[in-house]
Amino acid sequence: MSHAESVASIKEPGGAQARRRRSRGPARYSALDIFRRGVTNSDWPRSFRQHDLAKSYDVVIIGAGVHGLACAYYLAANHGITNVAVLDKSYMGGGGSGRNTAIIRSNYLTPEGVRFYDRSVVLYQNLAADLNYNVMFSQRGHLTLAHTDASLRTMNWRAEVNKLQGINSSVIDAAEVGRIVKYLDVSDRPRYPILGALYHPPGGIIRHDAVNWGYARAADHLGVQIHQQTEVLGIETAGGKVTGVRTNRGAISAPIVVNCTAGWATTISDMVDVKMPLITHPLQAAVTEPVKVFLPTVIVSGSLHVYVSQTDRGELVFGASVDPYPSYSMRGSLEFTESVASHILELIPSIGSLKVLRQWAGLCDMTPDYSPIMGVTPVDGFLVDVGWGTYGFKAGPVSGEAMAALIATGRVPEIISAFDLARFADGRLVGEKGAASVGH
Amino acid sequence: MSKPVSSRINSQSGEVIDRTKPINFTWNGQPLTAYEGDTIVSALMASGVQVISRSFKYHRPRGVLSASYVDPNCSVTVSDEPNVRGAHRRLREGDDVRAQNAWPSLKLDVRAVNQLVGRFLGPGFYYKTFIKPQFLWPSYQKVLSRFAPGGSPPAPGGGHGNFDKRYTHPDVLVAGAGPAGIAAAIEAARAGVKVMLVEEEYEIGGHLRYGGPEALAALAALRAEVNSYHNIEVLTDSVVTGRYDDNWVAVVQRSGVWSHERLIKARVGTLVVAPGLIERPYVFAGNDLPGVMLSTAAMRLLELHAVRPGTRAVILTANTSGDEAVERLRSAGVEIALVIDARTGVTLRRAIGRGRLKAVECADGTKIPADLLITATGWTAPTSLLNMAGDRPIWDPVAARFFPSELIPPSVMATGGIVGDGTIDQLIKHGRAVGAEAAARATGATPTPVPPLTREAHPALFHGPTTGFLDFSEDVKSKDIMAAVKEGYDSAELAKRFTTSGMGTSQGKLENVNAMAILAEATGRDLESTGTTIWRPPYAPISLGALAGRAFDPVRISPMQPWHVEHGAVPLIAGQWIRPEHYGDPSAEAQNVRTHVGIIDVTPLGKIDLQGPDVVKLLNLVYTNNWDNLQIGSVRYGVMCAEDGVVMDDGVTARLGTNHYLMTTTSSGAATVWETLEMWLQTSHPDWSVNVTPVTTAMASINIAGPNSRELLGRLTDIDLSPEAFGYMKVRTGSIAGVPDCVVWRIGFTGELSYEIHVPASFGLHVWETLLSVGADLGVSPFGVEAQRILRLEKGHLIVGQDTDGLTKAYEAGLGPLVKLGKDDFSGLPELRWQESLAGAHSQLVAIETTDPQLVPPEASQLVVGMAEIVGRITSSRMSPTLKRSIALARVSGELSVPGSRLTIVLPNGSRAEAVVRENLSFIDPEGVRLHG
Repeated sequence: MSHAESVASIKEPGGAQARRRRSRGPARYSALDIFRRGVTNSDWPRSFRQHDLAKSYDVVIIGAGVHGLACAYYLAANHGITNVAVLDKSYMGGGGSGRNTAIIRSNYLTPEGVRFYDRSVVLYQNLAADLNYNVMFSQRGHLTLAHTDASLRTMNWRAEVNKLQGINSSVIDAAEVGRIVKYLDVSDRPRYPILGALYHPPGGIIRHDAVNWGYARAADHLGVQIHQQTEVLGIETAGGKVTGVRTNRGAISAPIVVNCTAGWATTISDMVDVKMPLITHPLQAAVTEPVKVFLPTVIVSGSLHVYVSQTDRGELVFGASVDPYPSYSMRGSLEFTESVASHILELIPSIGSLKVLRQWAGLCDMTPDYSPIMGVTPVDGFLVDVGWGTYGFKAGPVSGEAMAALIATGRVPEIISAFDLARFADGRLVGEKGAASVGH
Repeated sequence: MSKPVSSRINSQSGEVIDRTKPINFTWNGQPLTAYEGDTIVSALMASGVQVISRSFKYHRPRGVLSASYVDPNCSVTVSDEPNVRGAHRRLREGDDVRAQNAWPSLKLDVRAVNQLVGRFLGPGFYYKTFIKPQFLWPSYQKVLSRFAPGGSPPAPGGGHGNFDKRYTHPDVLVAGAGPAGIAAAIEAARAGVKVMLVEEEYEIGGHLRYGGPEALAALAALRAEVNSYHNIEVLTDSVVTGRYDDNWVAVVQRSGVWSHERLIKARVGTLVVAPGLIERPYVFAGNDLPGVMLSTAAMRLLELHAVRPGTRAVILTANTSGDEAVERLRSAGVEIALVIDARTGVTLRRAIGRGRLKAVECADGTKIPADLLITATGWTAPTSLLNMAGDRPIWDPVAARFFPSELIPPSVMATGGIVGDGTIDQLIKHGRAVGAEAAARATGATPTPVPPLTREAHPALFHGPTTGFLDFSEDVKSKDIMAAVKEGYDSAELAKRFTTSGMGTSQGKLENVNAMAILAEATGRDLESTGTTIWRPPYAPISLGALAGRAFDPVRISPMQPWHVEHGAVPLIAGQWIRPEHYGDPSAEAQNVRTHVGIIDVTPLGKIDLQGPDVVKLLNLVYTNNWDNLQIGSVRYGVMCAEDGVVMDDGVTARLGTNHYLMTTTSSGAATVWETLEMWLQTSHPDWSVNVTPVTTAMASINIAGPNSRELLGRLTDIDLSPEAFGYMKVRTGSIAGVPDCVVWRIGFTGELSYEIHVPASFGLHVWETLLSVGADLGVSPFGVEAQRILRLEKGHLIVGQDTDGLTKAYEAGLGPLVKLGKDDFSGLPELRWQESLAGAHSQLVAIETTDPQLVPPEASQLVVGMAEIVGRITSSRMSPTLKRSIALARVSGELSVPGSRLTIVLPNGSRAEAVVRENLSFIDPEGVRLHG
């Protein structure tokens, strides 16, 4: 395809540029350097530089969230393509990447989903070292509670699929759940008693901002330009091919434009008339004031529509399923906190006096099968990495890696081949509803 | 200075303590006394305690800062309740008060060692270290997590306490009862509307309570006026935490007889926002030392609680609040060492002391010994509720604070310090004007603007020449913001996230403006363009218990459930319903149905009464099959698909009369189907005349199944049950056991001759018991859900949601014959038409037999090819009591679904087993002889 040709034409100069920029060398983070700067009182250098908008780039990525930043980083780091601009209409990591509840896991339901998210977990495990930025990945374990026969059946299904894929995942009984999390009420007192759980020890939480900033800093050091407060107003095409974008800061020409805008994905794709089966719903979250750490794992209850984890700072972070109505509003609702609170107290009755400090919402671009849309579109040079619903953050690294490979080679990597846009026309849906709907 | 001394002073005219009512309490186990009306912190200070807490990161000793709810230094644990705001909470007799975040004691906190390494703990230091070696990170992380601030969570055990909610509909709700707020409430009440006045403190009055004789006189007059109106409800120790769409307002009431905290949900006509102003701390070295506090804090302690906050004071003042503090402290016997008038451009350099203020270093380097340093350098407008109504506040460089923009809807108004300045009289006058207008708007008048309050100039003061604490609850210093900007975190949101400034317990109420000012300086912008981060709800923290209210999730049971329990039924939680799983031996129950007759309570089955001339159109739209020719007296099985062709529900629908149908759904799908019917009727076909009435709980439903069922039912009914008169898939109405108006239809989920009866719910138990008593000789016995599952599996009938999943389309569920693609339209038609063209390519539901007849492969066991290529799964499996062998349904990929295919099953324990695909889904009676008998 012509996409590959446009790739071939950009690769060489980019590679040389990357090597030049890399030779400057970033400021390395280490305990020793912290000590040195503490003693000498010297400042840290800028992690992300500011640039004027260039006239052209080899690749323009729209959206400086974890997907866009990871894609830019892997383009530079794995493929030597550094003449890349990441554009964001607001500040970096300000969308779903900074609003999610930062839960990482790979116990999905379909073989395609399991393989994909497991690669993401592997990348996350090594991310701190790769980026020289501690992303504080805490693999504390992940419990998906079952309160009904039906959900226990789904847990068993997931566990069996996971085991065959080599994922550490198993169904445990209520007593075992109680041994792992002493604060959970595993008695038969609750209206919906805990019958068991899907236990996924490698799952956990991560510091989402650190992931965004770590990718941004590493990409910046390799020569990628991150342009915040730069809104894309239109995408230019000629003869069915992308030629550039128009922004509030001027026009840019580029043969490849990647849509990594999650909740706003359809507004960007509409600019080139690429229709995607996405509906944007708000997803809300809330956090309590801190108490001493008492919750050792991530806890998810699909039946009660709630998930909770405790940060190292001691705050409980809650979430639920997406709001039932489509909207671009990011305001929190009272009903959300009420319902989350009542469900949390069903699970952990003793914490009624803990106070909710803050609530917020993010936007989720939901697909019919709860799997993403990744890869090429009918418009040559216009690529998408969207449809991230409520599970985008987990997939940041693997998506970036795969999209970068697609851009660099012109070939769709096998690991994302099931997630193509054409599947909706061909009837090859990748059903993750059972594992993804409230499955944080 | 020797031992810090603070003590109770003589009676003050505005004091809220009752000296006739002493209270005993303990502080870290030490017994102390106070008076009723004391806050925890005023009681401690009256007893000479200055250090209330240790800070989050550096574990520095901290004392009173604002002496209000938002005081970041005064969180304590009371009994087992963590994070109690000690500067707000009034003491109760016997309170066991303990310091938090200090170990082993408040006095000697070993983690204070963090102060020594503070220079290495800059913003985001954790992002820069513990990176390698990776295997040590989990250990580091465990250590880090021990530094989490706050109290300990209450120990597990017991219920979640007694919480409640209240709903109310005031015409005008005033948030904040300072002079302007009270005046607004009075004037609204005068107009005759229903008013709610909500005040965070324990008394109304705001700053009038500690403003001296003139203010107290004004307050007394306002109080009298409030008391004269029966249509003002005053809530104290309560705060408006959120304003949502259409003035849906959340109020948290913090103390009361009913519970710990109560959530009040109010639909408000006009919301008047009158929270006053929050005094802003000043940033300089040592500004967190105990003994350094805000002017309003000193006046609260002095005037409300008669506590002298120090003995020798330095005051930095830029406004009348600071000037007043000087006078009040002096008259309370505090020695005034120095007054620094910041309006003249003079400031101080630093506060000196270790664990306690010892001296203040002036700009010229002179050191003034003092144990009290008061700052009065400016105000922050708590615009949170206005933000929630759509406002984006604008910085006024002259008044040196944010003011609301004009973006608020007419149903939200503001008065008091949040919108301007003035004398007490001017504030009251503005409040009255706003209150009158609020009442008018609430009763439908066209909004007219209220003339604004004036704004007074105030110097813009944020920090001195040294760096100090910016966010006390997060231990963020001003230099941390500078460092963040240098590293590239240079916008309001990035700097906030990187330094965590504003993310602690006070949520930016004290520190946000200082943070923005320092950020603006560091980036070379002004405050107007830097703006502010967005205040999100809740304005004030609210407990999980108050949000949750009572644990209330009703249980649904059939009228026969007490009988089931009495007869040893093992309960099954099936969604909202609780029903019998079995009565001891499900296998025997199933066999009795095959050999004699059994009855099962199927009341949870969804039942929807449909009446009207257009019912058939609706049925044709929601079901995949054809309903044009269903005769009166007949029932038909139907499958519903969502628009993506996925099987959504199934059930039978009977035609009872010309325009009268009774639809049944699965038990779990009852609500969804009802909503779906209403959705189609209301959105796409409002012209169709159909009345949809859910009648699930109006009828008790019993299935009578087995070869003796005709004989059993025949003994109790006037309906002719002969095969000629009442064939398979027919419906009749008549009386059963003396109960008229029962519906009976002949269907067979179990594969046996069976009748499903629907009787008025109140007669359910009567009919159930009568069936059992008259059928003893026929071998009748009850059976539960488990026996029914066995029976239907033997017959090969699928269960939607178990043998299908969120992606299973009708053809994949073996329901192809029920999909009538020739119909004009039905839900899922385009998808199913397209899917039909791909016949064979998709997975199929098949019946399988394991090679080992005694091996029952657990449900969810996977079917594989080779080592791990998944090609399907077991969806249902049981040991068949009829066939004495294992039976199962499985979903397998198209090519393996042909009869005779050999399948490899991976069992949960990892071992493998073989199975063969059968010809037919039915394991017993594939010809339906029993069913049609």
